[in-house]
Amino acid sequence: MWKKFSLALLLCLFVPYLGMSNSFLFEIFIQIGIFAVLALGLNVVVGLAGLLDLGFMAFFAVGAYTWAIFSSPQITSIFPSIAPFSGIWFYAFLPLAMLFAIGLGCLVGLPSLRLRGDYLAIVTLGFGEMIRVLANNLDHPLNITNGPQGITPVQQPPVTWIVDWLSIPHALATSLFFYFFILVLIGIIIVINLHLKHSRFGRAWMAIRENELAAQAMGISLARTKLLAFITGASFSGLMGAVYAAKQTFISPESFTLLQSIMILCMVILGGAGSIAGAIVGAIVITLLNIEILPALTEHLSAITHIDFSEYQRLIFGVILVSMMIFRPQGLIARKNHV
Amino acid sequence: MSDVLLTVKNIHKSFGGLIAINALSFQVKKNEIFAIIGPNGAGKTTLFNILTGFITTDNGEIQFENKTLHHEKPDVISRSGIARTFQNIRLFNALTVLDNVIVALDAHSQTFYLSALLHTTAFKKEEKKHREQAMQLLQVVGLEKQADRMAATLSYGDQRHLEIARALGLHPKLLLLDEPAAGANGSEKIALKQLIKDIQQQFALTILLIEHDMPLVMDIADHIIVLDYGTLIAQGTPQQIQNNPRVIEAYLGKSD
Amino acid sequence: MWNIFLELLPNVILGGLILGFIYALIAVGYTLVYGVLQLINFSHSEIFMIGAVAGIETMRGLQNTPLPGLIQLLLALIIGALIAASVAVIVERCAYRPLRKRGSKNRLIPLITAIGVSFILQDLVKLIESVWHQEFFITFPSLVDLNTAYQLPLNMHIQLKSIIMMIIAIIMGLVLYYIIHRTRLGYSIRAVAQNPQSAQLMGISPDNVIAKTFALGGAMGGIAGVLFALQYNTVNPYIGFMPGIKAFTAAVLGGIGSVPGALLGGVILGQLETLAGTYLPLFTHGDIGTEYKDMIAFLILILILLFKPQGLLGKNHVEKI
Repeated sequence: MWKKFSLALLLCLFVPYLGMSNSFLFEIFIQIGIFAVLALGLNVVVGLAGLLDLGFMAFFAVGAYTWAIFSSPQITSIFPSIAPFSGIWFYAFLPLAMLFAIGLGCLVGLPSLRLRGDYLAIVTLGFGEMIRVLANNLDHPLNITNGPQGITPVQQPPVTWIVDWLSIPHALATSLFFYFFILVLIGIIIVINLHLKHSRFGRAWMAIRENELAAQAMGISLARTKLLAFITGASFSGLMGAVYAAKQTFISPESFTLLQSIMILCMVILGGAGSIAGAIVGAIVITLLNIEILPALTEHLSAITHIDFSEYQRLIFGVILVSMMIFRPQGLIARKNHV
Repeated sequence: MSDVLLTVKNIHKSFGGLIAINALSFQVKKNEIFAIIGPNGAGKTTLFNILTGFITTDNGEIQFENKTLHHEKPDVISRSGIARTFQNIRLFNALTVLDNVIVALDAHSQTFYLSALLHTTAFKKEEKKHREQAMQLLQVVGLEKQADRMAATLSYGDQRHLEIARALGLHPKLLLLDEPAAGANGSEKIALKQLIKDIQQQFALTILLIEHDMPLVMDIADHIIVLDYGTLIAQGTPQQIQNNPRVIEAYLGKSD
Repeated sequence: MWNIFLELLPNVILGGLILGFIYALIAVGYTLVYGVLQLINFSHSEIFMIGAVAGIETMRGLQNTPLPGLIQLLLALIIGALIAASVAVIVERCAYRPLRKRGSKNRLIPLITAIGVSFILQDLVKLIESVWHQEFFITFPSLVDLNTAYQLPLNMHIQLKSIIMMIIAIIMGLVLYYIIHRTRLGYSIRAVAQNPQSAQLMGISPDNVIAKTFALGGAMGGIAGVLFALQYNTVNPYIGFMPGIKAFTAAVLGGIGSVPGALLGGVILGQLETLAGTYLPLFTHGDIGTEYKDMIAFLILILILLFKPQGLLGKNHVEKI
């Protein structure tokens, strides 16, 4: 256990060393990091509690729009007397983003969680799409989200202290900051996941997943417990939404599609539903697939065929999902107690 | 009367045109072993489902320790002190044997979400206490050596025992056993009989028992009711039931 | 305001009817599979899309032949139905059956598989069309002789093609009724839907029946696809998604598992959507635009599931405890 931990730690410190000269490395790890937290969040909902949420990006969107609206000229167009919040407010808005995501989670969860698995899936899918449609269309009568144009510029937390401390250019300092910040977040989220899993909540979630009726007979309130799982996942998603908005400095409704919700599901399933390490491995594999492998494949095979493999993500995710379900439903890293 | 634990008054349940329970009334006294017998399809498990809140009765009432329970949800009822085992075993297969019992103990937990999040000292103390209590319950049914196995890997008989240990984890006052002897051979039934008597003593339980094994029922029951097509056709001591012609007719049919 | 309402109403109702028939035919596929497998066949929306694409490709193939428009359409319908049904059966055989044989009671697994199949089919069609035609937004060649418009009372315009569509849809509805209630196949489907074990004891092979159920539902979906292509002229690999969700809503509205329910639900949903899509923007001066009409179906779904989950014509499903 300690060996794995120190290996991971070494890797995490080695990357910045390399990244100093090649900032693209930071980009990859930051992307992986964001998706790792998202996968961990969905893992609680799907993997532990067995609730199929197909609209996970909705919470991500809410978190992202929260920070984006308040820290950009958008807020002034809604409330002319309020100026955009400066970058340092980022830290204060993180819990706010989580709060809004939790709020949406309650709104979605209360009517849906009592439904059977299949219906829950469709309803959450619908909610996810609704959020996207709302984001796309809430530029009239009142311009809240600025519609398909998206919102920019979104403030980033100040990094001048890093620039001064390490004497590096601003862009590199930003990458370095986000890299470590997300690393810290991942660490915290992993600990939270472990704590919850080995507590009465984790047990209750798994009990519900295994046998709902027996869980009720053993004193577990289905409504409350399912909602808790749902909003736990939502809060992680909302948190990373705000981080994503700050990192990209630009968001639009196109960042929050069904394809991405399914992609995160893919990460959880591929890695192993219910397994914390699995969620992280799944995030790493799928993100690398998207960023590195598919474009590379396209390039290398361009002599033979003109197919841009990056355009066929749906095919890839579909194949992954179906083959995992048929051949290895427990995922790459089976959770300890998979039957 | 203060020695009555459970009062069932005039409950009725029909599914479409089929009457499952017909104007049923009875009382269960504290510390009794109260058996419910009757041919297949007589409505016995339906009765359990009504008592534990999985089915709502069409009318009538159910009083448990002066609380009215017939409109409550199953989890509320289980936290009020009524625990059950299932006719078709319903364990949490992907949890360990020990965790299955701890889930029940969690029902009376005092810790909050935040404490679990942070693994506070109070939280850890309760976890430890629950683990110890769960181990003790496993010892009662003889499963303490299997504590860390996955529940799905147990033998059929052990799984039935785990169901009992898990139900005990709720600290119930009333325990509903749904055909605990199903699939058991002669010696296992003798052990089961002893187990039931032991846990009744040890935990001051009142036990409701659905069973088809007549010798077992006649041996340990204090009071018996007989259901046929959802209707109560006889009740009394084992002696009285054994000699009741209506009961014999229900099981064996009329002799002409 | 009232005048505008009345003026548009006849065409709105007509449009709603056509849309409703399309939804109804797709919904049948969902409800049949749900009846026998208790599974939401997510990939059914892509079966619908494949029918549409197959129909269009057939039309393009026949474009330069002297066959009259009606015959071309009928050929497109037949081929669309056949190809859609075949894909549906293949999906069942390769993706769902192995899971059923495993016997796991986990309900998430078939659902996730269905989503995966859905994605695979979308991109496969995209791939095929891209390689074959270097583009995947495909336009339906116009059938000139079917476009003749007729003027009807009440200021309604109706094209010949719309009349034909409605006739075809109604015929399919009757054919469906005949199959379900008067043939051995329909009888077997209903038997397996009610009790697979008993059906098996009576000599009905559930596997066989399930395959045929997928074929029947697939054929209906395929026909709906061709009609959709006829009505809207352009298709792409992603047109299945929205109609699929709406048709599923229609199936739930009518009572999942009930074929007349699916037909009824489809017609009602099509009508509501067209009414909302036309009148809401009008009466809110564009505040609530047509983009929101997709939400109508979704809101209906939530309301039904919350308040009357068995739908209009369905029966409550009782689980044995």
